[in-house]
Amino acid sequence: MGVLARRARHLAVLLLVSLVSLPALASAQAPSAAELARGKYIFGATGGCGCHTVPKQPVNAGGRRYDGPYGTVYSSNITPDRETGIGGWTDEQIITATRLGRRPNGERLIPVHPYTVFNGMSADDLKALVAFLRSVPPVKQAKQPKKISVPMFESVFLPAWLAAFAPRESPPTSAPTSGVARGEYLVRAVAHCGECHTPRTMTMATDNTRFLAGNPKGPEESEVPNITPDKTTGLQWSEEEIADYLGSGNKPDGDVAGGLMGEVIEGTLAGYKDLTKADRLAIAQYLKTILPIKNKIGK
Amino acid sequence: MKLRTVRAAVILGSLVALAVVGCATASKSPTIGTGDPVADRQRLMKNVGANWADIQNKVKAGAQDTVAVNAEALSLHAQRIPSLFPEGSLTDKSKAKPDIWQKWPEFQAAAKNLENRAATLRDQATAKDGAAVTATVGTFGRDACGACHTPFRVPPPQQQPAQPRS
Repeated sequence: MGVLARRARHLAVLLLVSLVSLPALASAQAPSAAELARGKYIFGATGGCGCHTVPKQPVNAGGRRYDGPYGTVYSSNITPDRETGIGGWTDEQIITATRLGRRPNGERLIPVHPYTVFNGMSADDLKALVAFLRSVPPVKQAKQPKKISVPMFESVFLPAWLAAFAPRESPPTSAPTSGVARGEYLVRAVAHCGECHTPRTMTMATDNTRFLAGNPKGPEESEVPNITPDKTTGLQWSEEEIADYLGSGNKPDGDVAGGLMGEVIEGTLAGYKDLTKADRLAIAQYLKTILPIKNKIGK
Repeated sequence: MKLRTVRAAVILGSLVALAVVGCATASKSPTIGTGDPVADRQRLMKNVGANWADIQNKVKAGAQDTVAVNAEALSLHAQRIPSLFPEGSLTDKSKAKPDIWQKWPEFQAAAKNLENRAATLRDQATAKDGAAVTATVGTFGRDACGACHTPFRVPPPQQQPAQPRS
C-alpha cells in the first residue's frame, strides 16, 4: 500500500471517528428533554425563583427590591442574556453562585439569595436547574446598583456572619426520592420554607432550633405562620389538607393563599402548584415530624 | 282664587323639592351594612370563604350540579367588593395592602375577574356539565381568589383548621 493510500485511510478513519463523536458532543451542549423537565420541576419547587421576577414583568429578569438592615439590594437578572444576565457564565460558575454565594469575579452575594440553604441541593438537581435557566428567553436588563449603608458590611461583617452565625445545609450525595426524607429535602434545601417561616435571631440568622416556628416580623411586614405541628399555635391541618393547599392555594376553612405564599404556590414558569401529589404529601409528612414549638404568631 | 293658586303652587313645589332631596339623600346613604367598611368587607369575605369551602366539599362529594347557588353568591358578592374599599379604609384589623388604592384599576379588574369566573362556574353547574365544574374548581382558588389575595392582601398570621362558617 502506498503512502497516499495509507494517508487516505487515516483520513477516512479520522472522519468517521469525528462523525461518530459529533452527536455525543452535541448532547453535552444541548440538555435532554428529561433534564430540562427536571430543571423546570426544581425551579417550581423553589417557588419559581420568584425573587428574580418582578410580578407581571419578564421572567427571571431580576430588579426586585429588597431592603434590609444593611441597605437595599435588587435581585439579579438570571436569564441567559450574555451581557446583563448569566449567559456568559459557565455551569460551574452558576452553581457556585447558587450554592456558595460567589460571583465569577469572587464577589459575595448578599444572602437575600439563600445560598446557605440552596447548598443543600443535590448536584444533579442543580445541574438540571442550570440547564433549565439557560432555556428561558434572555432579557437585556441591567441590574440596579445596590446601596449598602453599613460600613465594611461586605468585607468584614458578611464573612464573619456567614462563618459564625448562618446555618448552612449540606448537599446529599443524591436527592431523596420518596417519603419523609424527600419532604425534608424539599422543605429545607429547595422550597426554602425556613427563610420566611423560621424566626430569626438577633443577628438575623434563621434560628433553626425553632425551625418553622413562625416569624412575627416576616418579609413585606407580614406575620408568617408557625407551621410546626404544635397543637395550639402550629399547623393543625391533615397531611392531605397541606398537600392540597400547596397545589391549589385552598385552605380547609375556605380561605385562599395570598401574599408571598400565594406567589410561591403560583410561581412563574412553575411553582409549588406543579409539584407532584407524592411530593406535596412528602412535604406534609415531613412537617408532621418536626419538633412542635409553641410560638403564637399574631394576636 | 289667585291666592289659592299660589298656595297650591308653593305646596306642590315644596313636595317636589322634598322628593328630590329625599331621593338624593337615599342614594347617598348606605343601603346595606354597618357603614364600617373594614367590618363589612370582612363579613362579606367570610361568606365568600364559606361558599368556596361549600363548593369544594360538594365537588369532592360528586355533587357538581349543586354548586350553582354558591357560585351565584360569589358572583354577586364580587360585584360589591370595590365599593367596600373606599380610599384609605385601613385599620389595625384590616389586612388590605395600600397597593389597592395605588393600583385601583388592577384591583377593580381582580374583583371583576372573580365575578366572571364565578358566573362561568354557575353556568357550568346549571348546564350540569360536571367535568367543566371540576376543571374550573381545580384552579379557581388560585386564579379567581389568589389573583387578588397575592398582590393585595397581607396573609393572616395563623392557619385556621376547617370549621363550619356562616
